[in-house]
Amino acid sequence: MTDPLLDVRGLTTSFETGQGRLTAVDDITFQIEEGEVFGVVGESGSGKSVTALSVMRLLDDAGTVEADEVRFKGTDLLSVSESEMRSIRGGEISMIFQDPMTSLNPVMTIGEQIAEVVRHHGDVGERTGFWSEMRRKYVTGTSEGSRSWQRAVELLETVGIPEPEKRATEYPHQLSGGMRQRVVIAQALAGDPSLIIADEPTTALDVSIEAQILNEILELSEEFGISVLLITHDLGVVRETCDRVAVMYASEFMETGHVNDIFEDPHHPYTEGLLASIPRIADEREWLSVIEGTVPDLIDKPSGCPFRDRCDYAFELCDRPLVEYEIEGSALETHTVRCHRENEHVEVDDSGHVESVPDEAVAALERRIEAESARDADGGVSPTADASARADGGSRPSPAADAENGGDHGEY
Amino acid sequence: MGLREYLLKRLVHSVFVMLFVVTVVFAAVRSIPGDPARLMLGGDVDTATLEALRAELGLNQPLYIQYFRWLRRLLTGDLGESIRTGEPVLGSIVQVAGPTLSIAALGMVIALVIAIPTGIISAVKRYEIEDYLSTTIAFFGISMPAFWIGIVLVLVIGVNVESIPTFGYTPIDEGISPWFRSILLPSFAVGFPYGGILMRMMRSSMLEVLNEDYMRTARAKGLSSNLVLFKHGLQNALIPVVTLAGIFLAVVLGGVVAVEIVFGIRGLGRLLIGSINRRDFPLIQGTVLLIAFVFVLANIVVDLLYTMINPRIKYGGGD
Ligand code: SF4
Repeated sequence: MTDPLLDVRGLTTSFETGQGRLTAVDDITFQIEEGEVFGVVGESGSGKSVTALSVMRLLDDAGTVEADEVRFKGTDLLSVSESEMRSIRGGEISMIFQDPMTSLNPVMTIGEQIAEVVRHHGDVGERTGFWSEMRRKYVTGTSEGSRSWQRAVELLETVGIPEPEKRATEYPHQLSGGMRQRVVIAQALAGDPSLIIADEPTTALDVSIEAQILNEILELSEEFGISVLLITHDLGVVRETCDRVAVMYASEFMETGHVNDIFEDPHHPYTEGLLASIPRIADEREWLSVIEGTVPDLIDKPSGCPFRDRCDYAFELCDRPLVEYEIEGSALETHTVRCHRENEHVEVDDSGHVESVPDEAVAALERRIEAESARDADGGVSPTADASARADGGSRPSPAADAENGGDHGEY
Repeated sequence: MGLREYLLKRLVHSVFVMLFVVTVVFAAVRSIPGDPARLMLGGDVDTATLEALRAELGLNQPLYIQYFRWLRRLLTGDLGESIRTGEPVLGSIVQVAGPTLSIAALGMVIALVIAIPTGIISAVKRYEIEDYLSTTIAFFGISMPAFWIGIVLVLVIGVNVESIPTFGYTPIDEGISPWFRSILLPSFAVGFPYGGILMRMMRSSMLEVLNEDYMRTARAKGLSSNLVLFKHGLQNALIPVVTLAGIFLAVVLGGVVAVEIVFGIRGLGRLLIGSINRRDFPLIQGTVLLIAFVFVLANIVVDLLYTMINPRIKYGGGD
């Protein structure tokens, strides 16, 4: 079995705040295979975006990123130098952000915003040094005969923008919202990436063009064999687009599996709640909060299940640390859940409520916690990894990632 | 709207602005106590002589007649004659405009050269030593008036550095270097407060820009931090600074007037103050008109610059 394109294990990101330590991403593990569309779904503030920014090392100094491993095509992203990381950003891994109005530079032509990616990551033989770029920007302007510019025009055509030569010379405010997001997609394709991280790519757009833009991203990534990490709060979008999905809640992955498994056979109470909240008919509201209660405070987050205050099924084990259970019988993919209800000794009635918690359940839980922490301490693979990873996980070098490397030190 | 049309429109607009300014000045100088004729003749004079002079100068006519007569001459480009010397106002102004404009221009250059880099550094190194240092210096600039800075400069630099004169002005046709040295200290005195204001603006505007999404996009493209800052950030950060630079130009012009006194330079400022003391109405009006003209012109330049660096604005404003 080939290695996954992106292999993230035990990623934890925290921020030092005035009130204490805020854990924005808590020990998450996932793999993205080549050509796969992997979704991360959750409410705003659950840590989805921080996950993406951590992988890209785009957080500012305030954030600390730790992980057993963040491996992309065999390269440990957390230990490479900043300049190597720069050649990956925008090149091998590119990003699409939420709002095309604010994520495009208002004072630069569309053509140049795409062309600069081509110039920095492609093989067009144009100078990319600081002074060359400054002269191009403030003195000469980008030559429309340059290869990077012509490639930019081609890319605009690829993403379906009419009159690409003319559009390339225009500024973002001269385009409609949907067109702007197409420009952002072209920009993301410009470096010939293997992975596109799309962070809520359609949330800021009109509902009427949402589907178009999603299709554009999916069709192009399929055409060019690009994997996609799609971050969204919208389960509907996930169902339409993703191969596998992770459900994120309060900085942790609650349930991970194939889209069909997650939708047809959800095991986690939070996932169930989410599925129940999908509006049946077109609804103006973006998120129907049928799950009562509020997300727990992520500052000095207590151990135990973060969902327990809102969970209908909560029982006495729920303030113990969570462990991961693999759901058997999922034909499609590994399906994992972090919920104490899955403990093999806990008895659950037909309604899903816990009937009794025998002593064996507690003992089994303690054994699992011990096993997980032992494996974590090994620096190896945590048992949260899927089957394929477990098979070869032991032989992997354990880089004991330098946590301090995660932030964007020395930026500016 | 094309550039030409825009300029034309702005110029027409400027004419009205200046007309308004001179009208206000016309009324204002005549409302301060003091009669130019009496000031000219000195202490004890009989009423008949006084009245004769007043009639000669046209001061005995109703105000509106005086106003329209002045305005009519103005339209033909004639600023009138000085009450005191009888010399044409335009000539007197042109004679002394050189030092004032030189100081103002160099003062602006000094302000920009100081303010833009320190503003950027301050924003990038926010809450670090560089930030505190430049913010403190800017604070001094903002809180000290130009003439005070001038006095300090004379005492500190002028006294110790011989090659830099502290008194008088050397015209540019006597050599670039002597000219430059003669205006260096006054320009610095004028530029420092202006630079302080601009630096604070540059800092806050750059801080805002640093948080913009497109800066994150630029980093996500794999650009170096310098490119992100200067290619993607700088132009955006300059947009508000340029606008305010035009508005706060008054700080420079006001500063020059006071600084000329400190450095003993015969410029527009001294001419203006002298003419106010003597109630030399035509000379006051002419000088103010010129200053207003410079201000308006500078603002047109600033607006053009603004349009250049902000593609979202078409000539004549509006998104
Ligand atoms: S662990 Fe307990 S509280 Fe958490 S989801 Fe499962 S049942 Fe609910």
